[in-house]
Amino acid sequence: MSNAHSKTQAATPAGQKDRRRDHMPLVRHAILIGWALIIMFPIFWMLQTSFKDSGEWVTWPPNWLPQDPTLKNYQQIFTFDVSGSGVAREATDQPFSIWGSLRDSLIICTLSSLIALFMGTFLAYSISRFNVGGKKFRHMVLLVRMIPPIVIAIPLLMYYAVLIPFATEAVFGARISLFDTRIGMSILYLTVTLPFVIWMMLSFVDEVPYTLEHAARIMGAGRMYTLRKVVLPLVASGMVVTFLFVFILNWAEFLLALTLTHPDVSTLPVLLNKFQSASEGRLYGPQAAIGTVITIPVVILGIAIQKHLVKGFSFGMLRR
Amino acid sequence: MARIGIKNLVKEFGSFTAVKGINLEINDGEFLIMVGPSGCGKTTTLNMISGLVMPSSGEISIGENDVTHTEPGERGLGMVFQDLALFPHMSVFENIAFGLRVKNTSEQEVKDRVQQAAEAMHIEQLLSKRPGQCSGGEAQRVALARTIVTNPSVYLMDEPLSSLDAKLRIDMRTELKGLHERLSGTFVYVTHDQAEAMTMADRIVVMNGGEIEQLGGPLDIYRKPATRFVAGFFGMPTMNFLDGEIAAVDGAPMFVTDGIKAPLEGDLPANLSGRKATLGVRSEHVLATEAENGGKVSLIEPLGDATLVYFDYGGPTRLVSKVDPDRLFAPGDDLTFAFDANNCHLFDADNGARLN
Repeated sequence: MSNAHSKTQAATPAGQKDRRRDHMPLVRHAILIGWALIIMFPIFWMLQTSFKDSGEWVTWPPNWLPQDPTLKNYQQIFTFDVSGSGVAREATDQPFSIWGSLRDSLIICTLSSLIALFMGTFLAYSISRFNVGGKKFRHMVLLVRMIPPIVIAIPLLMYYAVLIPFATEAVFGARISLFDTRIGMSILYLTVTLPFVIWMMLSFVDEVPYTLEHAARIMGAGRMYTLRKVVLPLVASGMVVTFLFVFILNWAEFLLALTLTHPDVSTLPVLLNKFQSASEGRLYGPQAAIGTVITIPVVILGIAIQKHLVKGFSFGMLRR
Repeated sequence: MARIGIKNLVKEFGSFTAVKGINLEINDGEFLIMVGPSGCGKTTTLNMISGLVMPSSGEISIGENDVTHTEPGERGLGMVFQDLALFPHMSVFENIAFGLRVKNTSEQEVKDRVQQAAEAMHIEQLLSKRPGQCSGGEAQRVALARTIVTNPSVYLMDEPLSSLDAKLRIDMRTELKGLHERLSGTFVYVTHDQAEAMTMADRIVVMNGGEIEQLGGPLDIYRKPATRFVAGFFGMPTMNFLDGEIAAVDGAPMFVTDGIKAPLEGDLPANLSGRKATLGVRSEHVLATEAENGGKVSLIEPLGDATLVYFDYGGPTRLVSKVDPDRLFAPGDDLTFAFDANNCHLFDADNGARLN
């Protein structure tokens, strides 16, 4: 790149073309900074709102920074008094504990993402190596994802709340319901994200040269040994990236969780939507606080696995 | 004993037959090279010996055992791949140790044997590096060390030198030949490079279109190619070919085409007179001497130890003659030439089979 650059510079005598070329990085950076500001603004607004007291949420003209910073919103969402929701007070002062939802979200997302990653990796391997499902299957894996969630939300509700309980009662004599359970949500998220995992892992597994496995086989290694010692370590970065991607998808999923849970199980995005009161409308402060809390694990995960992210996305650098 | 026997080996991929029923006996301790153009079935054959590809029909035996349906890892083979297939996430040490670890070798023995193999390939200083940090030649040695460490009786090599630059490739040829002397194992080596085959092999198998064209020692193949294909495949520059017919002039057999008359010697089968044939002559047997055939020089390629002179003789092709570098020709010069009658190869015009 740099070589080609200097070459063109040397070839053209210091003219307009050169100067324009010199300005290109500046222009590019200006555009990128502008774009970043647009993207970052809502996050900034959420962050600063989370430190504002109720009076400041909707002032006009807006306060760009909290005039009187407070941790009230965080106290409100982090209170341990789960039963406090029944206390008759102003909604702005009610404790809205997020602990239950945080636990539900963490369990559901971690469980479903891990199982999806495990299954998806092996499925991707079999599709990549044995053409399982036929030659075109790899292109159709994502087809399931083309269906908008709203289309399947109500049918799923029928299954979860009615058909499965009645069917199990008829067959096993015990009513098993997946509606409003963590296991039900985990199975659902597993189903919904598995195509993504397969699709992403396929591109990583495809990059592992066949001959590596052949070499291992010649040296006497069995299929599982080869997978464990050769293939999986080589796609590990890809697995980390895939896990993060799927985890975030599940972490932020709203529609299906809203339809299929209540009142026992509640994920964070669903909880977020519940913050309103008859007297005061939307409770922007606690909502912003929860939004911030939801974002933090994702950001921490992202930073923690940054090395893998770069490696994962720049896959294909394997020495041949 | 690691004699390899191949009987009626066939491999079909769908409707395409890659290997069409070949028979081959590879002797214990032999350096056998399979050579041919891309898609001739040589790599498929090698992969069937290794067990990575299952034959459609036929038998393969190694030593006394029929291994046709044996797992690759149980055949007692070592294999070097075209892309070397080093594990990029493991150190050189772990790469070499892989085959030992699979067999649950004790840690001390792994250490000792990896050390020995590394010393044999002069790569002790690389053991802690990753394959990605090694140069092409070093990676090549690592791949070889990984193969010799398990002490197999048969070594299979699939174009292992093709990723190296020209100079290194020639050095590695010498080294591989030395390695074969030291290890006394059976080497089966696949390449599309005829020069590699000529320099290293005890015997060469020339394959084309899924069949064996010729099997023999390097010089046999060079001096007496069994088919026109083999004749054209071996030797640089490519052998000169002329289409014409065989005539009897004054009772002596003569090859005649486009104003060229070339007397033929040696034991020719009877009744060849009047038959259409292709004459093949290597450049060193096209003698630029006082003779009745004439031509005009079109191109000169000095090689240093010899000079290649390309000339037009009036026919559809151009001929090339290898002459002494002291003889100076220039494009446009006239020259006269004759063929060395003892080194003319006659091939059937239709099926390319050797006639003389």
